[in-house]
Amino acid sequence: MRKILYILVPLVLTFFLVITAALPQSGSEIQEVRARNTPEKSQINKVHDDPAVLNNSNLKCKTCHTSEYPTPKDPGLTDCPRENLVSVYQSPKEGPESVAIVEMSDKYTGVIFPHRVHAEMSEMSTGCAGCHHYNTSGPILNCRNCHEKSRNREDVSVPDLKAAFHRQCMSCHKQWSGENGCNSICHKRKDITKDNITSTNISKTHPELPEPGKITWETNSNINKTVTFFHDEHIKLFKIKCTSCHTSESCIRCHTPKVQSDLNKPVKIEKSIEEHHKPCINCHYGNKCTKCHSDKEMSPFDHGKTSGWVLSTYHKDLLCSGCHGNQMPYRKLGTKCVSCHRDFAAEFDHKLKGFTFSEAHSELECANCHVGKDFTKNPVCSDCHDDKSFPGDIPGEKPGK
Amino acid sequence: MRNLNRRNFLKTAAIGISAGALGTSSIKASDKSLSEDRIGILVDTDVCVGCRHCEWACRTAHEFPACDLEEYSDISVFEKYRRPDNTSLTVINQFENEKNPLLPIYVKVQCMHCEKPACVSACIVGALTKLEDGSVVWDDSKCIGCRYCMVACQFQIPTYDYDKAIDPHIWKCDLCRDRRIRDKLPACVEICPNEALVFGKRSEVLSIARKRIKRKPDVYVEHIYGENEIGGTSWMYIAGKSFDKLKMPPLGKETAPGISEAIQHGIFSYFVPPVALFALLGTLMWVNKHKRGESDTEIESTDPDKEESEF
Ligand code: SF4
Ligand code: SF4
Repeated sequence: MRKILYILVPLVLTFFLVITAALPQSGSEIQEVRARNTPEKSQINKVHDDPAVLNNSNLKCKTCHTSEYPTPKDPGLTDCPRENLVSVYQSPKEGPESVAIVEMSDKYTGVIFPHRVHAEMSEMSTGCAGCHHYNTSGPILNCRNCHEKSRNREDVSVPDLKAAFHRQCMSCHKQWSGENGCNSICHKRKDITKDNITSTNISKTHPELPEPGKITWETNSNINKTVTFFHDEHIKLFKIKCTSCHTSESCIRCHTPKVQSDLNKPVKIEKSIEEHHKPCINCHYGNKCTKCHSDKEMSPFDHGKTSGWVLSTYHKDLLCSGCHGNQMPYRKLGTKCVSCHRDFAAEFDHKLKGFTFSEAHSELECANCHVGKDFTKNPVCSDCHDDKSFPGDIPGEKPGK
Repeated sequence: MRNLNRRNFLKTAAIGISAGALGTSSIKASDKSLSEDRIGILVDTDVCVGCRHCEWACRTAHEFPACDLEEYSDISVFEKYRRPDNTSLTVINQFENEKNPLLPIYVKVQCMHCEKPACVSACIVGALTKLEDGSVVWDDSKCIGCRYCMVACQFQIPTYDYDKAIDPHIWKCDLCRDRRIRDKLPACVEICPNEALVFGKRSEVLSIARKRIKRKPDVYVEHIYGENEIGGTSWMYIAGKSFDKLKMPPLGKETAPGISEAIQHGIFSYFVPPVALFALLGTLMWVNKHKRGESDTEIESTDPDKEESEF
């Protein structure tokens, strides 16, 4: 009897276990969980085939996946690295001209936000990413994509939509207007007027910025008091882009904030010595102070005076970096043609100097006329001709003659 | 009126001062039974722009006279440091911002809704109650106008209708309980354009505050005011400048009420006649205050006169 029990009990138990495990409901639950955790194929493709992902050379597999061999079931994703991936850029013209913000307010009329003018202004500071923060290289998201409309909500760690809008606008607007009100620029109260204050904002673009020529500063120093900066040269001559120096301009740089008690007086913004020098030092690292600081105003840059090598017709139009490279500060170059034009002799076309060789001259070596191959000096004719000299006489014919 | 109030008080005292307003259970300041989900509000002074809309909303919600919203953009009020009073339960003050003089720091002031409120302990008739949700509320029908709460409060918040001869009130922020019954956010939280006031569970709000400080260490000082001050408060602050420079009283972690509460609550459960009580309590508070003054150096000043001169 006992023996039968010994056999029966485990048998019944096993049977029971098998039945429970085989019950359909538990199996489907597991499947459901898996379905929730593994992304669908289309979703994977959507990420991998996104041109923004394909074309972003900064993106490596390891940027998003931690595991060596990611599979759809186990993709081994890292925390989203978007903060390091922010690379959104569009020219102001590509973005919308103005954006209507109408969903938020019961007290005020909607706000027409002149997007383009702000995009233009931010080109000299944070660029698109200043407002479209945490935007990866993908499509540009607007505030509504992430910020919830309702203030009374579960997750309060991210500001709601109303706060998102206001935080973007107010930090600058308050700085230069010094105002706390809502109605001077953005809002109009519904009960006072029906006309839309902000309709004037539509298609607003930033007026063209006047380019300064020469700027001088008087420093507190006893010697070499004056600093002269040729802004025009840096743009026209050195072909430096605005955004190479103006990297973090705020609106108040131009829209001078006024002292609150005296609205005619602009606020003076104190800068440290480092901040003052920062834009120049980037390129002029290693220059002596006297490069900029002098006892009197400096005269504009003159290649001939500074380097002793006058720029001729063809060289005048070149970018500085064309000869000097991108390394700052520029190094002095040799004055011989061959110091830049390595295979100069073989290639030089004398037509550029205004003539073709006559038959008698075409077989000559360069050094026959250009003594010591110094092409900066006039060629010597008197070795062969008693009565000829350059440039009065030329070893050939002028075209068209 | 007074008689009625007192009758009411006795009635409620008889059942052990346990019935709370709003139907939520009330608790003594010393009780540990605060809800896990109790309210916390973070004032992010880096985000506040000083528009004072919260002042307007608070006044309006409490049916105080409040002029036109537009008039609140007047910045001349910031010339003087202001305290909440019986015309405004919350005020905004302006402080210099050395990091950027164009963006001053604004600090909202209102009742902090302490975790262990001294006012609740000091109130001899149980007119002030700490609710489970964290708010400290005041019951008009029980208050006898003794103003002990005003003396006890470390933040000098409860104010009194000194100008009213008949039925004067004690006033302080009530976390907009009328609005919250109707499932609305406190008026100030709702109106704030920048969501400088983050309303949520205290535990969550605290972790948001920590994250913000961690993410912008150059913007904030590493201190969440109200996380631990006198045992913690429901309103908490983060700022770019040390809080004593923002006129927030430097307080230790020790709770303010200490032993006085137990005795006061105890006496009342035995129906000791109020006259005898007042005498006893006066002595008790005096003794207690002097004791605290000696033993607890972290609490800088419990003397109201002294603090008054500071502000
Ligand atoms: S919570 Fe309500 S009572 Fe308290 S300060 Fe805000 S608006 Fe005023
Ligand atoms: S409404 Fe918000 S931003 Fe305005 S003063 Fe109050 S807390 Fe600051």
